[in-house]
Amino acid sequence: MSITVNGKTIEHIKKETISDLLKRMHYTFPLIIVKINGKLIKKKDYNETVILDKSEVKVIHLISGG
Amino acid sequence: MTEEQKITVTIDGKEVSVDKDTTILSAANSIDIFIPTLCHSELVEPYSACRLCLVEIDNGRKKRLVTSCNYPIRKPITVKTKSERVKKHRKNILEMMLARWPNVKIIKDMAAFHGIKTPRYTSPLQDPQENACVLCGLCVRACEEDIWESALNFANRGPEREVMMGYGENIPQCEGCETCMSICPTHAIDMDKEDPNNPFDADLMRKAGMKLTREMVLLDDSQCRMRKVGTAHLTEIMDEYDLLPVQNYRFGSHTETKNIASDVFLKNYLTQGKPDGCWQGCTMACAKTADAFTLKTGPYKGDQVVVDGPEYETVGGCANMGIFDPEFVLEFNFYCDTYGLDTISTSTGMSFYMEMFEYGILNKERCGGLDLQFGNSDAALTFMHRMAAGDKDEFIQVASKGIRRVKDWLIKKGWGDKQIIEDCGMESKGLEYSEYVTKESLAQQGGYGMTLKGPQHDEAWLIFMDMVNNQIPTFQDKAEALHYFPMWRTWFGLNGLCKLPWNDVEPENNAETDEPAKVPGHVQNYVDYQNGMTGGNVDKEGLILQSERAYNWQRAMNVWMGRGTRNDDWIPYRSMGPVTKKEYESRKDRYDTQFVEQLGFTKQEVEKMSIEEKIQKLYEYRQNRYQKLMDAVYYRRGWTPNGIPTPQKMKQLGFSDKKMLSMLQKKIDQDQEKGLNSWGGIYGDDEQPPTDKDQYWLEW
Ligand code: SF4
Ligand code: SF4
Ligand code: FES
Repeated sequence: MSITVNGKTIEHIKKETISDLLKRMHYTFPLIIVKINGKLIKKKDYNETVILDKSEVKVIHLISGG
Repeated sequence: MTEEQKITVTIDGKEVSVDKDTTILSAANSIDIFIPTLCHSELVEPYSACRLCLVEIDNGRKKRLVTSCNYPIRKPITVKTKSERVKKHRKNILEMMLARWPNVKIIKDMAAFHGIKTPRYTSPLQDPQENACVLCGLCVRACEEDIWESALNFANRGPEREVMMGYGENIPQCEGCETCMSICPTHAIDMDKEDPNNPFDADLMRKAGMKLTREMVLLDDSQCRMRKVGTAHLTEIMDEYDLLPVQNYRFGSHTETKNIASDVFLKNYLTQGKPDGCWQGCTMACAKTADAFTLKTGPYKGDQVVVDGPEYETVGGCANMGIFDPEFVLEFNFYCDTYGLDTISTSTGMSFYMEMFEYGILNKERCGGLDLQFGNSDAALTFMHRMAAGDKDEFIQVASKGIRRVKDWLIKKGWGDKQIIEDCGMESKGLEYSEYVTKESLAQQGGYGMTLKGPQHDEAWLIFMDMVNNQIPTFQDKAEALHYFPMWRTWFGLNGLCKLPWNDVEPENNAETDEPAKVPGHVQNYVDYQNGMTGGNVDKEGLILQSERAYNWQRAMNVWMGRGTRNDDWIPYRSMGPVTKKEYESRKDRYDTQFVEQLGFTKQEVEKMSIEEKIQKLYEYRQNRYQKLMDAVYYRRGWTPNGIPTPQKMKQLGFSDKKMLSMLQKKIDQDQEKGLNSWGGIYGDDEQPPTDKDQYWLEW
């Protein structure tokens, strides 16, 4: 029971949504892109999209500041 | 949004379910039903001046006409946008408008669309100009709501009503931003005549500007909140990602960060959110102001002053000194500005002196009686005041010149171990580091080290890409990023443009583009901007080429001045890894895992090693990794392993200056004799340097 997030393997949690995962990872940066198994997930769907076991998740942080 | 909060309405027989309070106009637009408008724009609050957007609604009890642009949907209703009643009223309005403004294109077009060619009467108010003002009020509202200026107003009543600036004179509030002009549907406002820059295609530039304004107004609140708090929004984020420098970059977060988080300033101190004039009329408006702040120390003690800022780097610098007091942040910010000090260099410098104080390398006696402990805000301010007053104490004199001089001074005095001094003093090329912990991101180390101007804050871009996203895993990937991003950064400098509108707000569809990290939609803004200004025909690759030319020329100049070599691109170890035991322990899991995953140790072996041993091993490993990164980056940039731009590369870039080319060749020949033209990294059996060809550039 595991998923990968940006290439790192972590535990899979049942019924975890993208929003939950972002919280678990402390990903608070506002400019991010989420892909599950290569498919882009829109921001408005973060609350509803549940991450299935063995998913390959990418949370791509863009750049800002400086 | 749950289903309960959705309301279903029927528009022209089509059903659509929308969030409560959606206007009829946007509901209709969402299902491709067109309603004519004149005074409406998503950039400003609806105003219902023109009444062209009339529709007929039926709530089951009665039917009535409403303006759709500002009518919020709260109940299921039936809407008709083309009923006979609507058509009749709309036609009447358009006829009146056409009679009054017979030559304004948008009015003529709309009237024609609704079957009116010439009005049946002439208006006593007729204004025959093609660019007559149709009193839509868009300019007035845009200036007030988007630019926060209120430079425009309606003057007079009834037939005399007109848009005016102040009492008919140019008033200082006007930023000259041209937003009013861009939003005006009739071109009634024309500022181009007065434009001293005489751009080739002002429209192209204005479109780019309006694109940005639109994004700032609509998206900023849910993105970086630049208009609210500016770059300071990064404080809490950096803390969360373990990247906020605390106590001279030893740690990356602190429990007290909440005391200096952006909302603290927003709630308690910031009084103005207006642009400070760095770019007139900028809708990003990242500069903030705290008015009537009472100073507690220094020559202006007791005075109420205006403080500019604070920006992220200033707040981060305070965390770096171990000070988490918002009033200190403001006082420090004020005195840095007043004394002409850079908040970054000052705080990074002081953080280093504080660490040296902690280790006893400095003490009260050695630093002019100052008790320079981490967190001692009084000592930090006293240090600044004494420095500004030209205090003759030896430490204050040396310290005012920055970290590099203090390092040399400490070593010369023999007060501490040379290595610890070198490792902890966070400067490269004599410039103090900006406020990001780079230890866990090799690419970011390269971003700071392998840049011409030193570890300055606008090179701090690769940290997330590398450390969090794991997006540029190989040396080659990192080298590519260290080619593109510094070149792109250079372009802003060359053109005197701000970088923030590039990626501190992002277009709605950025995620769907091919290279979201580069924000292609915004790169295009800059392409349009340059072409609009100059009449040139550059593309995005062309912009990078412009920078590459300047960058390589500058590097060559550095070489000419006896710098610009591999040695000059070296960075202190604190920015590469843990120097002290405490630091190692604060991220023990991360480092221990790295031993297993990257250095090939078994878990048991790691457990058996002492911390000192682990620090030493990591020291060698990470320094070698930085060397390998330098190899890859220099190769990608077309330089020799000693970091010298090759004449071959210079020629490719279009340089033919004989003196410069022969100077570079001479340097390369000297390096060849000294054996400096070989790679700096030590490579394992399964690894390779960028190429194994000797003097690879000869083939280019
Ligand atoms: S140029 Fe900008 S500041 Fe001046 S009136 Fe127009 S919108 Fe307002
Ligand atoms: S000047 Fe232009 S934008 Fe302003 S009220 Fe008149 S028509 Fe509308
Ligand atoms: S567009 Fe609705 S009143 Fe003008």
